[in-house]
Amino acid sequence: MSYQEKNITVSLISHLFILTYYLANLFPIVQSGEWDANELYALWAIVIGVNILVTIIGSILTNILLTIVEAIRSQKYEDPRFITDERDNLIELKGIRVSYITFSVGVLISVFAFIFGQPPLLMISLIFVFSILAEIAGDIAQIALYRRGL
Amino acid sequence: MEKRQVRNNIRKLRFLNNEMTQEQLAEKTGVTRQTIIALEGGKYAPSLELAFRIALAFGLPLTEVFSYELEEETK
Repeated sequence: MSYQEKNITVSLISHLFILTYYLANLFPIVQSGEWDANELYALWAIVIGVNILVTIIGSILTNILLTIVEAIRSQKYEDPRFITDERDNLIELKGIRVSYITFSVGVLISVFAFIFGQPPLLMISLIFVFSILAEIAGDIAQIALYRRGL
Repeated sequence: MEKRQVRNNIRKLRFLNNEMTQEQLAEKTGVTRQTIIALEGGKYAPSLELAFRIALAFGLPLTEVFSYELEEETK
């Protein structure tokens, strides 16, 4: 597994955790049917904040851990070649395209839910769900492309 | 339009160049070993710049490393 694949796997796991946390907090609100705007704003703020933090910290920690593992494996310290080449960029672009399509479909579903009488807060909640799902879909697409060779 | 694909002799040329490893070629051309593996497996067609860098690494003209062949011929 290459450095990029490991990085994307870490990103995928963190996005799955964030989605689980978000859904676990969203379902009780949906089930109660009482849309408390303040409660939802707080939840969205936490999800956005955690997403940004996890992305930055996850990337730094992965880099440090992989450097340590590589140094232990080769019994010497040398700057690891964590380079990104044109194939990595192509795979990243394809992953972004998958994310974009997933998010677009999600926004459409959310808007249709609003048109068919659902509260606006549910529409925005669904957009949040699909934004995280889009990240997950993009990560899975990239891992699949790396596994397949491209 | 007839379907063509980029093919290469990288594996053979590595062998003829003192059995150069994929890692060594990757370092010479500034890409990852995974990219060299994908190139050798015919799963990835390189950019023109990378194709030139690989040809330079072997000290050969581009056409001796890469060819553009009909897909039917390769099956």
